[in-house]
Amino acid sequence: MARKVKRNIATVSLFTMDNWLKICIVVVFAVATTGNEEATPAKLLFSKQILNKYLVEGMDIVIKYSLFNVGGTAALDVQVADNTFGPQDFEVVGGQLKVTIDRIPPGSNATHVVVIRPSKYGYFNFTAAEVSYLPSEDAAEALVGLSSEPGQGAIVPFKEYDRKFSPHLLDWLSFAVMSMPSLVLPYALWYSSKTKYEAILTQKKDK
Amino acid sequence: MSCKFLIAFSLAVCLSVVSASSCSNPKLSSTSFTTQDGTILTNIAYVSQFKLSCDGEPADIPLYAEVGGKPLSVVKSKETNEYVVSWLEETKKAPRGNFEIKVYDDEGYAAVRKAQRNGEDTTTVQPLGVVILNHPGAYNGPWINSELAAVIVAFAVMYYALTTKTKLEA
Repeated sequence: MARKVKRNIATVSLFTMDNWLKICIVVVFAVATTGNEEATPAKLLFSKQILNKYLVEGMDIVIKYSLFNVGGTAALDVQVADNTFGPQDFEVVGGQLKVTIDRIPPGSNATHVVVIRPSKYGYFNFTAAEVSYLPSEDAAEALVGLSSEPGQGAIVPFKEYDRKFSPHLLDWLSFAVMSMPSLVLPYALWYSSKTKYEAILTQKKDK
Repeated sequence: MSCKFLIAFSLAVCLSVVSASSCSNPKLSSTSFTTQDGTILTNIAYVSQFKLSCDGEPADIPLYAEVGGKPLSVVKSKETNEYVVSWLEETKKAPRGNFEIKVYDDEGYAAVRKAQRNGEDTTTVQPLGVVILNHPGAYNGPWINSELAAVIVAFAVMYYALTTKTKLEA
């Protein structure tokens, strides 16, 4: 009886040793793979969009910058700078062209809107804005990226836009004033003779 | 003795770190801008720039903002030491009037997210400050086109003339 028990103990302990080794291997593998997923550095996708139907000199241009973090860690110290709009050609009326975002968590996005006004007309090539960020907390160097380019756009002079789209109220008023004589004069003549005729008619009736 | 000192020192450091990320006596001063011509834009932009001062000194803490339950990205401008909040609405649907932008710090925003997760009312969390942005409404073109108005007036005059003429002839 004792011998049997001894054998059983021996086989049981060997079984668990073997299993333990397998469990260890599995755990190490799992940790290694999950560890890699968590350590995926941050990667930002950056898009720049112009939200205008027409680009008119002296009227607002709305620019939307969107940053999306497709990496596994948060992007830190994200600095967005758009140096493509020189102060001689554009005036910034809303928002700022150089901004910093402290942290973009993984899988989330950040948007920023800037409103500018062009002070000159002509063809303008909307090029990319720059972004620099730290892909992880212990990153030594900042990664630099560029946004998407909206491309070339024609900034129309204000006179042309006004000619096409303004209500031209003053023009219509002057047209009305100029067309008045041809309508009002015959009407006035007819009206004066009509009242005279009616006056004579009533006088005759009274008589 | 040195052990106690070390504990006290570390506690003091912890406290100072915690207080650095929260703001006492917050004061917000803001300027806002909204685009007001809806005829050439597809979206109306609402932009609010504000400065936060804690105890009289300009603050550099991370902030979170929300307007109407919608979270907004808060960006910082290092040049002017301001925070900028911005969002877009479609021209046709862009509502006008006053918008309340609630600004939270780390703890406040964590409390808001917790309340949202539990389905509680988020208005119970006190924001660091509220920035009001006024949008007077965007110009979407005249109600009646001036050409249409001119055509209507011309038709009215013609109608009057014709009816008077037929009355006379009859």
